[in-house]
Amino acid sequence: MRLAAPAKVLLQRFAFLFLILAAFGIMLLSKSETIVVEKVSTVVVDVFAPIMDVLSRPAAAANDAVKTVRGLADLRDENIRLARENERLLVWQEAARRLASQNQALQSLLDFKPSPNSQSIATRVIADSGGAFVRSIVVNAGDRDGVRKGQAAVSGAGLAGRVTTAGYRSARILLITDINSRVPVLIESSRDRAILSGDNSGMPRLTFLPANASIKAGDRVITSGHGGVFPPGLQIGQVVPSGDGVMRVKPNVSFDQLEFVRLVDFAAVSPIVPQGEPAVPPKNAASR
Amino acid sequence: MTPTLSHRLDAVARNVVPAALGVFFVLISSIPFYIPGFGPVAPNFVLMAVFFWAVHRIDLFTSVTVFFIGLLLDILVGAPPGINAAVLVLVRTIAASQGKVFRGKSFLVLWWGFGLVALASGLIIWILTAIYHLTLINPLPIIFQMTMTVAAFPFLAWIFARTHQKLFLHV
Repeated sequence: MRLAAPAKVLLQRFAFLFLILAAFGIMLLSKSETIVVEKVSTVVVDVFAPIMDVLSRPAAAANDAVKTVRGLADLRDENIRLARENERLLVWQEAARRLASQNQALQSLLDFKPSPNSQSIATRVIADSGGAFVRSIVVNAGDRDGVRKGQAAVSGAGLAGRVTTAGYRSARILLITDINSRVPVLIESSRDRAILSGDNSGMPRLTFLPANASIKAGDRVITSGHGGVFPPGLQIGQVVPSGDGVMRVKPNVSFDQLEFVRLVDFAAVSPIVPQGEPAVPPKNAASR
Repeated sequence: MTPTLSHRLDAVARNVVPAALGVFFVLISSIPFYIPGFGPVAPNFVLMAVFFWAVHRIDLFTSVTVFFIGLLLDILVGAPPGINAAVLVLVRTIAASQGKVFRGKSFLVLWWGFGLVALASGLIIWILTAIYHLTLINPLPIIFQMTMTVAAFPFLAWIFARTHQKLFLHV
């Protein structure tokens, strides 16, 4: 055993160097051979998904309990607020009914073919990024539930992110705040186009704004649907000017409290995929 | 004097505890806690576990174990794979080489040593992440995270020390 001691030290040194090199190798590999590394990661996340699912339940339950207690405390105020909101919403409901029937009448006049309803999958968040430099989450639904890469992840308030990898029973969602996230957006009031670029902060930046864009604080930002990844018109957040002249967007989704997200299959209604017969050119154009 | 089977099983069970704790903290690091602002600055539990066990029972925490724990952490939190693996293997080697300095000394010495290690780890993680994304990244989150990690170290170290005592010192 004594003879082996120097050899053991040598082996340990070698193991250290080898492992450091292996780590850098994997880093490089994940840059060049994205698909292979993604596949392996997906399998690993899949294996651990049931455990994380179980482990994340107590935290979720505690969160719900805290919410309930807080809710009890301001039950009266909340009730008054809801009663007022209800009044306001009833007016909107009336308006919506009127517009819906008008819309239907106009659609039948135009012989309009509505796009098929998008399907959505409700999922629970089982992991969020513990890293300082990552903004992504893992949900407990995957391939077997119909989750596909590229689907939009929506919570009640608006767009949260999109599916980047889908395993068998889990999927990873890149949040719109992540440094790798780019979402084509539209300023709702001015119809200016821009790209919403995440930078790991809570408020992503608006980039590639046209020079003459007239946007102001509080303007609502929605997905533009360009590029075909997200459906157009999904709410994202509101414009907030930041000190350095950069326009930022405060997302509607509160990422700290994200417990459930809905994954919307937009591929089914993508404008890129032709649906039905091609549009018939106007008759006078054909006769010309 | 051949140990009975139950004895040997018992020893094996004790010896996998440090590594199992490492994996457990990887999972804890990745689940959501729903505390506003907590996610990005949550303490790096795995770093604490690796440091503590590398100082006290380096033989039960091989570099290969540490490597895979780091890789698992990277994959589960969605970080560039390999970053935590490299940093943790490095931390293990440093902690092990300085083990004699820390063992048997007051806890403050251990805490001080961990502070230095956390500072270095934060710096390396920041540089590697910036190189990986080929862009300058705001270092504020990692500064907060490492501050939280150093602040939380006494609590976890206490748990680890109790485990260490129960499992290995009174046998």
